[in-house]
Amino acid sequence: MIRSLADFSRIAGEKGPKKLAVLAPEDEDFMTAVKTSWQMGHIEPVLIGNTEKMERVAENVGFDIRGFEKIVGDDRQAIADLGIHMLFSGKLAIASKGQIPTSYIYRSIIREEGRAGSGMTVSVVTFWEIPGLDYLVVITDTGVSIKPDLKAKTEILKNALFVYRLLGCPRPRIAVLSGQREVGGTLASYRDFEQLRKAALEGEFGNCEIVNATSFTEIFLGERTRPVAYGGINMERLPHILLVPCLDTGNILCKLDFFLDVTRSSLVATSRGPVCIPSRADSSDNIVQQLAMCVVIAERMREGGT
Amino acid sequence: MPASFREVIETAQKEGAKRLAISFPGKKDIEILAEAAGAGLVIPCLVGDGNPIESMVSETSLKSLKHEIVEEKNQQKALGQAIRFVRDGRADMLMQGADTHQALMDAILDTKNGLRKGKLVSYISVFELPKQGKLFLVADTFINNSPTLAEKQMILDHAIRLAGILGIAAPKVAALAAIEQINLNIPSTLDAAILSKMSERKQFGSAVVEGPIDIDCALSEAPALRKGLRSAVTGKVDIYLVPEVDTGHLLAEALVFFGAMQAAGAVMGTTKPVILNIPFVSEANRMVEIAMAALMCKRGETNA
Repeated sequence: MIRSLADFSRIAGEKGPKKLAVLAPEDEDFMTAVKTSWQMGHIEPVLIGNTEKMERVAENVGFDIRGFEKIVGDDRQAIADLGIHMLFSGKLAIASKGQIPTSYIYRSIIREEGRAGSGMTVSVVTFWEIPGLDYLVVITDTGVSIKPDLKAKTEILKNALFVYRLLGCPRPRIAVLSGQREVGGTLASYRDFEQLRKAALEGEFGNCEIVNATSFTEIFLGERTRPVAYGGINMERLPHILLVPCLDTGNILCKLDFFLDVTRSSLVATSRGPVCIPSRADSSDNIVQQLAMCVVIAERMREGGT
Repeated sequence: MPASFREVIETAQKEGAKRLAISFPGKKDIEILAEAAGAGLVIPCLVGDGNPIESMVSETSLKSLKHEIVEEKNQQKALGQAIRFVRDGRADMLMQGADTHQALMDAILDTKNGLRKGKLVSYISVFELPKQGKLFLVADTFINNSPTLAEKQMILDHAIRLAGILGIAAPKVAALAAIEQINLNIPSTLDAAILSKMSERKQFGSAVVEGPIDIDCALSEAPALRKGLRSAVTGKVDIYLVPEVDTGHLLAEALVFFGAMQAAGAVMGTTKPVILNIPFVSEANRMVEIAMAALMCKRGETNA
C-alpha cells in the first residue's frame, strides 16, 4: 500500500515517464516543476499554449524545450479543452493545469465525462501526509462542489474511494465531517452523515467503513463532550478519508499545511486519468510532488484500477 | 498587550477577584475554580445540591478560599438562580456547570430572564501562537450555524471587541472563503467582499478587513504575492472570520488536534460574561477563559 508521498515519488521514478499535457505553462515556478519532473523521469511533457510565452519562461528557468511536442494555443478554454480531450482520447496519461483558471479545466472535464457517459462527478482529492502517521489522509471535495447535496456527496465519496483503493487499501475508513454540536439543531451536513453511513452499511460504497464520528473531537476522543487533553492524541484514530461539508470547509482545512506540520498534494481523478491542478500559491517542489502522484495514479488506473 | 495565555491570566489578576456563578458544578469545575480563586481571579458562587458540592469543595484548596454555596436541588432552578445572580449584579459572570449546552443557551438567550444583550450571541475562539508571540481569534466556532451577512457583521463586531479586550487595537481580519476572488456562485466570497468594503469605509473602526481571502493567502504573504494579492492582512491576521459553523468548528478543532495549538474562547453578545464548556478547550485553558471573562468585566459592559 502507498503510505507516503515519498512512495509516490519512488514509484513515479520506476513507472514513469508518463505523457503529460501541460496546459499553458507560462509561469516560472510551474515550468520549473515540469523541468524537474522530466529530469526525474516522471513525465514526458506535451506543451500546449502560447509558444512565445512558453519559450521565454523555459529559457528563464534553463529548460530546453526544443525536443518536446508543442501545440500552439492562446485561448485559455480552448487549451483546456484540447488537453483534457487528449487525456480522454487516450493520447496521453495525465493533464496538468498551468496558467489557466481551474474552472476552465473543470468545465472541460465535465464535458468530456458527459461525452464518455461515465457518470463520474468532478471532485478534488487532496492528500495530507501527517508526520508519525503511516498512511495518507484524503480530504475531499476541496475544489469543485460549492455546497454538495447528498447525491453529490455520494459521488464525491465514490471518487475518493476509487482513488484510495488505487493506493492498495482494501477497506478505507471514512469520516463524514460536520460542525454538529450540542446546540443549534441538526445541521444539513450531519443529516448527510446519517444518510451516507446508512448507505455504507447497506453496501452502497463496497468494502469500507464510515465511522460514527463527524468532528475531530469525536474522532480523536470518542465523544463530543469530552475536553481535549494535549499530548494524548492518538493520530491513528484518523480515518483514511475525510468528506467535508462544503467547498469553503474543504479548501480552508486542506490548505492548513501553510500553518500545520503536514504536507499537501491534490489531484482530480477523472474516469480516464488524473488531472493535476496546482494552486497558484503552490511552490514548484509541491507541484513536482503532485505530478508524481498523478503519474502513479495513472499507472494504477492503466493496470486495471478502473 | 497579552502575547500568551499566561499573560492574559496575569493581566486579569491585576483586576481583582470577580464573582462567578455556576449551577451544579462538577468535580472538575470545582478544581478549576479552586485554581482560579487561588490565583485571585474569582470568588465562586456554587448553586446546586449543597452536600455533594461541599464535599467536592472540601477536597480542593477552595475550602480555605472565599466562596459561597447556594442550596438549590433542582438543576433547572439552579441554572435560573445562577443567571439571576448575574443579572442582578450579585455575580459578575456565569460559568457552565452540568447543564447541557442547549439548556444553557436557551436560558441565556431567553429575552425576559436571560443574558442576551443584542440580536446575536457568538462564540469566538482564541488561539495562542507562541512562535509569533501573539494571540489570534477565529469567529464563530460554536454558536451560529449559517450566519447571514448582517449576522456576520455582528460576529465580526464581537470579534473586534474581544480583540480590543485582549489589547489588539487595530486588528487585521481575514474574511475567509474558498477562493480569493469574488465568485457570484460562492456566497462566502460575496459576504467577505462586502465586509471588506465596509472596512474600507471605516465601518469596523480601525480594524482592517481583507476578503474574500483564502486560508493560504491569509496565513502567509508568499502565496498571496504569487496570486497577486497585496494586503496589509496577509500573513499577519489577528481575526479569521469563517463563513459558517461547519468550517469554524472544524477549523478550530483542526488547529487543536493537528497543530496542538492552545485554545480558549469567549461568548460575546451577552450582558455579562459567560464561560462555556467547549470540548476543544482543555480543562487547563478554562482558566484562560475565566481570565478573559474577568477582563471583560473591567470594561463595565461586556461585549454586544
